[in-house]
Amino acid sequence: MGEIVLKDLRKSFGEVSIIKNINIHIEDGEFVVFVGPSGCGKSTLLRMISGLESVTSGQVIIDGADATHTKPSARGLAMVFQSYALFPHISVRDNIGFGLKIAGLPKEEIAAKVGAASKILGLDKLLDRKPRELSGGQMQRVAIGRAIVRDPNAFLFDEPLSNLDAALRVQMRIELIRLHGDLKTTMIYVTHDQVEAMTMADRIVVLQGGHVEQFATPIELYDRPVNKFVAGFIGSPKMNFLTAKPGAAGSIQIEGGPAIASPGIRPDQMTPTMTVGIRPEHLAYSHAQGDLKGKIVVEEQLGSDAFLYVEVPGIGMLTVRAVGERNYHGGEDIWLTLPPERCHVFDDKDLRIDPALHARAA
Amino acid sequence: MTNQNVGFKLLAAAFITFIFTAPILWMVLSAFKTINDIYAIPPVWIPDFTYLDNFKLLLSENWEFLLNSVIVTLGATALCMIFALPAAFGLVNFRFRGQEFLADWILSTRMMPPIAAAVPIFIVFNTLGMLDTLPALILVYAGFNLPFAVWVSMSFFRNIPKEVIEAARVEGCTWFQTFRLVALPLAKSGIATVATFVFIFAWNELLLSLFLTSREAKTFPVVISSFSTVTKTYWELISAATIIQILPPVIFTLLMQRHIVSGLTMGAVKN
Repeated sequence: MGEIVLKDLRKSFGEVSIIKNINIHIEDGEFVVFVGPSGCGKSTLLRMISGLESVTSGQVIIDGADATHTKPSARGLAMVFQSYALFPHISVRDNIGFGLKIAGLPKEEIAAKVGAASKILGLDKLLDRKPRELSGGQMQRVAIGRAIVRDPNAFLFDEPLSNLDAALRVQMRIELIRLHGDLKTTMIYVTHDQVEAMTMADRIVVLQGGHVEQFATPIELYDRPVNKFVAGFIGSPKMNFLTAKPGAAGSIQIEGGPAIASPGIRPDQMTPTMTVGIRPEHLAYSHAQGDLKGKIVVEEQLGSDAFLYVEVPGIGMLTVRAVGERNYHGGEDIWLTLPPERCHVFDDKDLRIDPALHARAA
Repeated sequence: MTNQNVGFKLLAAAFITFIFTAPILWMVLSAFKTINDIYAIPPVWIPDFTYLDNFKLLLSENWEFLLNSVIVTLGATALCMIFALPAAFGLVNFRFRGQEFLADWILSTRMMPPIAAAVPIFIVFNTLGMLDTLPALILVYAGFNLPFAVWVSMSFFRNIPKEVIEAARVEGCTWFQTFRLVALPLAKSGIATVATFVFIFAWNELLLSLFLTSREAKTFPVVISSFSTVTKTYWELISAATIIQILPPVIFTLLMQRHIVSGLTMGAVKN
């Protein structure tokens, strides 16, 4: 059981409003990721759910019961912190069993549960060590172990992998996904890493400035970002944005560039100024022909991909992601083409204009 | 560094150490001398260490005051810590209006010299019929040390990562359990440091004891001061008594040393 509903949730510190009217419904068993730039309020929001941060107004409803003013200890949630937050003075075994001991469970039951959890997490040989004798990855496993033994309604993760090195982060990410598959318990996960967000989440909450920009599945966020912020935030390298206006015969006129066919947007949906967004991987490129001619300023060759940073006169810098490409190099000329069906169009308020004909942009 | 250099530094260190310890050494020697030996010229450098009459005389007449000192010191240290630790924990971890003001205000009470409060305290205890009682001294010593103990303890509780306290609360701890099971064990070094300071203050305090006691609750420092009279100073007894007086703080500090050293340096650098 772990349905969590946030209703008109607000938080201010004095005059400063950190969380502005958040409404989210998290289903039981869902893996939800809160993502956003630093200072967007994602950690604060998580801490409000945990009860560690007080709520200025609105409600936190856990499994149908109003938990807004319930103590953290009584919410039935488990939390994993970025800094692991293990108790340094007691052994791994006692760390994992800490919550159970507080709950007053009999010793044998605690031992059994700690044993089971440590086996899942590969900690069985480390149980008698103190936290300071562990590596970062092991410490984070202990923190996860401490969370899972309590069989909580939901897990709250506050950037749990940020302190680990890159290789370990990938490994722990996979372990967490597997763990969620096994436990099927609600997980709320805060990160600033969009790869973690995209790969782990059933649904992602994109936050900015204390409010929800979009709450949707990873693919939905990628395919149909509701506004320019989400479009720019999700995806790496970042989406290219070009200023545009309505063109002749229902087309869209790129400023300083060509007119492109509308991706199914009717002239009456258009606003006097618009932004056309296209992801680096969707820009078509050629040595010979295309909509825009530019010069490759920098080529970043990753082997699997090449990132080409192209300066287009009159438009500015565009990024191209060329999968497996080896034949384009810095200093060369390149032609770029914007496939209309791949273009996202945003109005003068930076909101997405949905193609009227298609249900979805491809 | 050359050997010569090391030798010179050792010599200098030995000399400085000698300057600091000489009075104490002389006092230790005097404790085993008769009054005539103390004033003898040429001086009696090495006394007969089997001569224990000074100690015997001192303790046979004053053992109850020594006991008073022990009771008052332990009582004041315990009482002070019992109040200071939860107060410091609360001031660090609870968010409430006037939090900083309260902490500053507690510290400000320390700015008054204890003797300025002596007369009011005398009147209060007189009214309550508590003059010349051990509980009165325990209360006063604990009270005067509270601001210091609260403030220093606060800095140790502040060194505990916030997330560890939060983790305890999410794991189901009440505030009191968080304090007892997590904060106290983690602030152990700090607590040892604070307790040592309070212990030494209470053990060595003279002025208030002189003021508030006459006979029943007299503490050992008052006894020592009484050996210096208008007509005569009993150097042999003062020496013997002072040795007894300095022993407990030395032993207590040695026992706590490991904790104190880590306590004094804890939080000096970010770890």
